[in-house]
Formats: sequence, C-alpha cells, structure tokens
Amino acid sequence: MRTQTYILNMGPQHPSTHGVFRIILELDGEVVVKAKAVPGYLHRGIEKLAELRTYPQVIPYTDRMDYLASMLMNWGYVAAVEKLMGIEVPERAEYIRVIVGELSRIASHLVAVGTYSVDIGGFTGFLYCFRDRERVLDLLEMVSGSRMTFSYFRIGGVADDLPPEFFPTLDKFLHDLPSLCDEYDGLITGNEIFQARTKFVGIIPPDVAVNYGLTGPNLRASGVLYDLRKVRPYSVYDRFDFEVPLGKNGDCFDRFAIRIKEIRQSARIIRQAVDGLPEGPIMAKVPRVIKPPKGEAYAEIESSKGVFGCYVVSDGSTQPYRVHFRRPSFINLGYLEKLLEGWKIADVIAILGSLDIVLGEVDC
Amino acid sequence: MFGQGLLKGLAITWKELFTRKVTVQYPEERLPLPARFHGRFELDVDKCIACGLCASACPNKVIQMERAKVGKRQYLTKYVMRIEYCMFCGFCVEACNKDALRFTHIINMNQYFRDKVRLVLVDRPAPEVIPEEEPAEAPEGRAAKPKAGAAGKGKAPEGEG
Repeated sequence: MRTQTYILNMGPQHPSTHGVFRIILELDGEVVVKAKAVPGYLHRGIEKLAELRTYPQVIPYTDRMDYLASMLMNWGYVAAVEKLMGIEVPERAEYIRVIVGELSRIASHLVAVGTYSVDIGGFTGFLYCFRDRERVLDLLEMVSGSRMTFSYFRIGGVADDLPPEFFPTLDKFLHDLPSLCDEYDGLITGNEIFQARTKFVGIIPPDVAVNYGLTGPNLRASGVLYDLRKVRPYSVYDRFDFEVPLGKNGDCFDRFAIRIKEIRQSARIIRQAVDGLPEGPIMAKVPRVIKPPKGEAYAEIESSKGVFGCYVVSDGSTQPYRVHFRRPSFINLGYLEKLLEGWKIADVIAILGSLDIVLGEVDC
Repeated sequence: MFGQGLLKGLAITWKELFTRKVTVQYPEERLPLPARFHGRFELDVDKCIACGLCASACPNKVIQMERAKVGKRQYLTKYVMRIEYCMFCGFCVEACNKDALRFTHIINMNQYFRDKVRLVLVDRPAPEVIPEEEPAEAPEGRAAKPKAGAAGKGKAPEGEG
C-alpha cells in the first residue's frame, strides 16, 4: 500500500502555543517527519520603535517583550544604558532590583509550571500556580502600581522605594512558598501519569544545547551548569548564597522540575536580600536629560527564560541609534524543529510547553 | 507502589477543598488597591503651570495640551489625554514637578464609543487676565482691574472623560 505524508498547521491560534505561534508539521500517521516553526505573528518592531524614543522612554517597551517577567526585561535594558554611561547604581537600588527581579522570576516560573500542567492535561495545577502568582503580582503592584507591565526600573536606579506594607506581605509569601512548591511537586511532579508523559521525551543532549545557544532552565535541565548569576555575577548576586539546580536527562520532565527548584532558590535569594537591604539612595546621580556618549554597550542578565542581552548603540543624541535585544525565548526555539522530529503529535505539545516560550519575547 | 503519586495529588486537592476561598465576587466585592495603583489620571488645574514636562516625558505622545499667554504667564486652556494610546507607565506623573498630575484609583475607563475614550482633563477658554496674581505681575496692565472681580475665578466647566 502506498502512503504519503500530510501537512498539518498547528497554530497560529492554538492554546498550547501560548500565544500566536505556528508550527507546520509534516506527519506520517501521527509521527512528526518534519517540523517548521513560523514565529512572527506578534512582531511589533520594538527595536525600531526604540530608535524614535529617548533612552528612558524605551523602558515601557521592554516590559512588553517577556510580559511574564517584565522586571527582568527592564533590568537588561537599563543595565546596558548604565554600562554605556558608566553609571554606578546605589547599593539599595541594586538590592531592590534583586528582590523585584527574583519575584518576577518566581511569577514567570509559576506560569511555566502551571501552563505546562494544563498542556499535559491537569487543570488543577494551573489554577494553583495562578492563585499563587496572584500574590506575587500583588506584591509587585504595591511596588510599581502595575500588575504586569511594571516600568519600575530607571536608568541609574529604580522609580520608587519599597513601601512599608510590602515587607510583611513579602515575609508571609516567602514563609508559605516552600509549602506551595511542595504542593506543586505533590500534585504534578509526583504524578505517575505526568511522569510517563514527560520522562525521556524530547531529550536535548548537553552538547547540542550548548551548540544551539540554549540558555536558562532549558540548558541547565541538560546538566550544563551555566547561570549568569553564578558564572559571571552582575549586580550584587555574588553576595548571595544559592544553588543552581541542574537536570540529568535534559528531557521534558527535567525542564519542568527544574523550574520548581529554581522558585525555591529565588525565595532564598529574596530572603537574603531583604535581610541585607542597606539604607541609602535609590537613584544614582543621573543628568536630567540622558545623553550617553558616542559608543556602544552590551549587557546581559539572567532572565527567567535564559540569558537576556541588550545591545545599545549611541550616536551622542538623546535617542538610541540602535537597540538590539537578545531574547532567550527566541534562541531557545531554534532547536525546536530538530527536537520535534520523530515524536508523536501529542508530544509536540509536551515538548513545546517544556521550552517555556513567551511569544512577546520571541517576536519582540 | 504504582499510583502513590496519584493518591498524593488527590489528597492535596481534597485538602484545598476545605481551605478558605481566594476569589471574591467581583463587581459587588472588590479587593483594595495599593496606594501606588495606576488608575485614571487627575489633574489639579490650580497647581499646573503648563510647563509641558509631562507631555515630553510620554513615550507615546498621549498628552496634548494647549496653552495661551495671559499677561506674562502661561495659561492652560486644554489638556487632553489620548488614553487609548496610554501605556500607564507613569512617566508623566513622575515628570510633574508640581504634583499636579496624579493617578487615581478609578479603574473603569470603558466607553461605548471610541471617540469618548479620550480623557479631557481641562477645556476652558483663556481669561483676559489671571485674577489672583494680576496685581503682582502685570505692570503694563490693560485696565483690567474691574474685570478681575467680575470674572471671579475664570474657570470654565471642566470636561470629564
């Protein structure tokens, strides 16, 4: 009997692609022969928009890349401009940045864990994660006034000091967080059906992960110890005691489980940062009109999805000549096409979900 | 034993069934908003000196203002926010030196028609002279003394979005 493959479009409007993302699948029965990823449906041209704005005015646009961890996107951009201008950020501002940045990382990982649970078919885990993410958003709302697009970082510091009511609420959240993580582990990670669906599925070997430029939890799940906070500490991360969780097999299960472990480590960092929060100013002495000297700068931070880099070129005017963002979600997607080959169509969802992409960041 | 993880998960969901509810019945009950919440804008017209810092801080050119020169001072005649383009980043509020532009806790800004979305914070004609400070800084004065009393506070009705 003569058979032939057929083409199936997954997306762009598909709930499991976490946004508008399209994968063209060539299928032999239900086995993927070839996959082609088509991003770009959410492209807004943020890099181009930045060229028509002054340096501070770009900050709200960076929020809209990885909108699940906006604080970290802000951080990458302001770090690049500060490097370009040679601004020394006050210590209190650095500590506040670490606190809100790690809170953002927790919020982002909670979405990753929750949506992965619902991708695999467990709706309860999704609700639990979003219930707890709400508490993080409440905290960040107290600080910045917004729930998702914070625009809280400023070139040379942060917009406002932490309000007094922030600390007791944060303390309570950090107190509850380990038991909440135990809950996710008990409900999702320990579930045998979940393990059967994800263990040894979509394996990324460590050397391949490095060659494809994967970063963040996806790389560390393959067992490669690479976390910018440890290997090249920026800000004040060298003062905190925390571990970098690693996976063993580099499969979907490891990529999922590592995120819960990272939430626990982030809580440790926040605890230390709150305890060691120094007094002092929250803004460096920055001129009213920000006009960096001619030149270029590239700064990197460890975002929740991987290494987020920002490249800024200045021509000496008040507007950046060129801004480029290295978005980890986009680069992590690079290996997707190869990774999907040979897996069944139901595993496509499991593999894509485990990579934890945010389309706002992929398309920028 | 296979299935232990399933039972553990089931135990967790059962436990959650008896914990306190985290949701509220939204339109009737509302959670309190934090002090810094970015809601609708309000402008204290008496404090505003029509300097335009807010308009130039805005990344999206949301703020459109018109001013007239009355005597020696700038007088704000129109202040419109094209709220449909607003990102609520708060740069305008931060730029305001006089604390005239502020966020409120009003979250309901829905309108049925698009042209109603625009937030008109000030829309008033310019007076001949500014009543209060007229004696101090109008040496060339246009014989406006009697009028100042008549005009009272020359504030036209404020348009509200």
